Amino acid sequence: MTTPDSEAPDNFGEQFLDDYFAECDEHIASVRRHLLALDQQVGEGRIDSALLDELFRSFHTIKGISGMVGFRDEEQLAHRIEDTLRAVRQGDLTLNVDSIDGLIESVAMLDRRLAARRSKTPLPVVPGEGAEANLPPAAAAGAIGESPLLTFSIEFTPTLALAEQGININSLRARMQEIGEILKSTPKVKGQGEISFQFQVRTHVDLMALPEWNSGGLQTVAAAPVPVEMNRPVPKIASSNVVRVDLVRLDELIRMMGEMVTSRARLEDQVKQARKTLPSTEWRAMFESTQTMARQLRDLRDGVMRVRMVQVGEIFDRMQFVVRDMARESGKRIIVDVVGQETEIDKFLIERLMDPLLHLVRNAVSHGLERPDERKSAGKPPEGRLTLRAVATGENVTIEIADDGRGIDVERVAERARATGLLAPGVPLDNARLLEVICYPGLSTRVEADRESGRGVGMDVVKSTVEALTGTLSLSTEMDQGSRFCIELPLTLALADVLIVAVRGQTYAVPQSTVREVFEVDPSAVRALERNEIIAHRGGALPLLRLSEFFKLTEPKQSRDGRFHVFVTGTGTNALGIVVDRIVGQQEIVVRTIGDSLVQVPGIAGATDLGDEKVVLILDVPAIRRSALQERLISTGN
Amino acid sequence: MLRPLAKTAHVLVVDDSPTMRRMIVTALRGLESVKFSEAGSGLEALERMTLTPIDLMILDLNMPEMHGIEVLQFVRAHNIYSRLPVIVLTTRGDETSRSEAAASGATDYMTKPFQARDLLELVRNLLPENEKP
Repeated sequence: MTTPDSEAPDNFGEQFLDDYFAECDEHIASVRRHLLALDQQVGEGRIDSALLDELFRSFHTIKGISGMVGFRDEEQLAHRIEDTLRAVRQGDLTLNVDSIDGLIESVAMLDRRLAARRSKTPLPVVPGEGAEANLPPAAAAGAIGESPLLTFSIEFTPTLALAEQGININSLRARMQEIGEILKSTPKVKGQGEISFQFQVRTHVDLMALPEWNSGGLQTVAAAPVPVEMNRPVPKIASSNVVRVDLVRLDELIRMMGEMVTSRARLEDQVKQARKTLPSTEWRAMFESTQTMARQLRDLRDGVMRVRMVQVGEIFDRMQFVVRDMARESGKRIIVDVVGQETEIDKFLIERLMDPLLHLVRNAVSHGLERPDERKSAGKPPEGRLTLRAVATGENVTIEIADDGRGIDVERVAERARATGLLAPGVPLDNARLLEVICYPGLSTRVEADRESGRGVGMDVVKSTVEALTGTLSLSTEMDQGSRFCIELPLTLALADVLIVAVRGQTYAVPQSTVREVFEVDPSAVRALERNEIIAHRGGALPLLRLSEFFKLTEPKQSRDGRFHVFVTGTGTNALGIVVDRIVGQQEIVVRTIGDSLVQVPGIAGATDLGDEKVVLILDVPAIRRSALQERLISTGN
Repeated sequence: MLRPLAKTAHVLVVDDSPTMRRMIVTALRGLESVKFSEAGSGLEALERMTLTPIDLMILDLNMPEMHGIEVLQFVRAHNIYSRLPVIVLTTRGDETSRSEAAASGATDYMTKPFQARDLLELVRNLLPENEKP
């Protein structure tokens, strides 16, 4: 029934790999959701058959399309899961926690295989049918109850060759009597004058499943076909209105729209300049048109952005799946709370975030949450609690991963950091510095004996990925209370609202998503603290960083009274005030990352065109903050 | 029964997997004067058929809402489509499914994974005479 890879004449299936992976992703996502629901139902002792149907269908489809693209192992794996589900559906097999575990394991394997196929990395080995201890074999189902009595029609066409092998009417009759009862035997004349014999056999053995009853001159069919999966009630039409679109095409749309935004800004500029030369009523009408256009473009932008948005629920399901798997392996008991799974975020961002998020979740399970006995002796409930939360706040999304485990042993981390020279002696390790330290390349794996370290993602990668997406990572932790990681990201990367700032005759764009607040400062408010400048702000001390010093700009300052603007980035002890000469305005821009070596300067994230054909550099605020913080880590206490 | 040569044959591809539908349509791209419609469920297929006349159907069995066999039985019960060529294209290779499909009126039966050229040949043979190249 299946064709080996080598026989595929033209690799027909290969051209559909993108569709294949996309469709498998959809099915695996829904499988995860359904398995988690099934897991819960098994615990409650009731099973919704619609859920089984959905699962069954997903694996059925995965099997079908895997076969077409020539992925035989995936096809077989899906086939085996399908068999198991069929047995459950037919009541031949009872689902329990172990069999759900087996299913989850198989799905995880399927998922890993697909990921490896996609990235063309070495494939994890699928255990053989016998080795797959946890996937209950559907064949075992027969042992549970008496298998039904079946009737088969067996047609035998004798040939000389078969007779030489000892296969003839007599040997066949003996075989049939071994397994059941011969009801009828009739000779038949076939087209070319050939003779065949037709037997009706009643038996408990499903001959259809046995190849030897369909080879060696034998053709077996069920005599009284029992309709399977028929006459089921027909539910309402749920025709899907979903269109699958390649992200690249959407990027193209965004790019075109970005150009329109730029052209409009240019037009507005020109209209403003025409004010002197045009009669006022005509000029006003023209100006209002540009304003209307701005609103319309914003609506269009929002519309296109919405198309790119996906719910974070899908990755939360995936994380729950990982947690469940890890909990089972480690003997921990974990309750996962999911909040805000309907929150939407750019598809591009969520894909980039997947590995960092999974890393944080794995860390929480393997290092944060304790074993039940440990928790009990600490006076906690035996079940650890892991919270996955997503919240949209204006132009940003916050994703939070929190556990109520043992928290990070700050003193131990501090010792390590001092031992490696990362932290000056005597300097306390607050949450912001702690994050810097545990995200220091190569350190996290040494501080925490990380079981997952083989996966190639460490805390340093988590942090740099988040920051590359112009987001921020923050941490709060308390001994015996747990840890909380927060990732704050813009909703999208393609377009950004920026502050335009001027420093010593240079103009920069600052993504608004990185700016907490902006205020004006009188130079007299600045105090020196060791090598740093600080100002009093909101009841605390806000360290300052002068952008002119950061970029070593030597032009004179263009301000008569010496006052300047500060924008605040980061929160709490992580906050930093960045000093600029003045804030020029705000604007929406299209972000272009440039490969030009001229702009590959630390602290610069990209460039944009403000509509006046001058290129403006976009500040890489997280990078600036990082370098400032590192300097502080080393310098403080010296 | 002769129809003008310019007539385009209309093939309806019924499968709940969009990837599989694309594969089927791509496999049949070599056919001249054929246009394709796709349906992701049995009900969708029946609806499509009542709206536009079709000349051949490629039908999956295991689909949500309405099983392929039910679709087939329904189609056969309809006067207009009692003689419509229907190819059942399914992952189920067992004889029970085959004979069930045959008993319900399938014109032909092919299992997935299929070879593109086999499907092409089968469809070519089943399309009305004047639509063949």
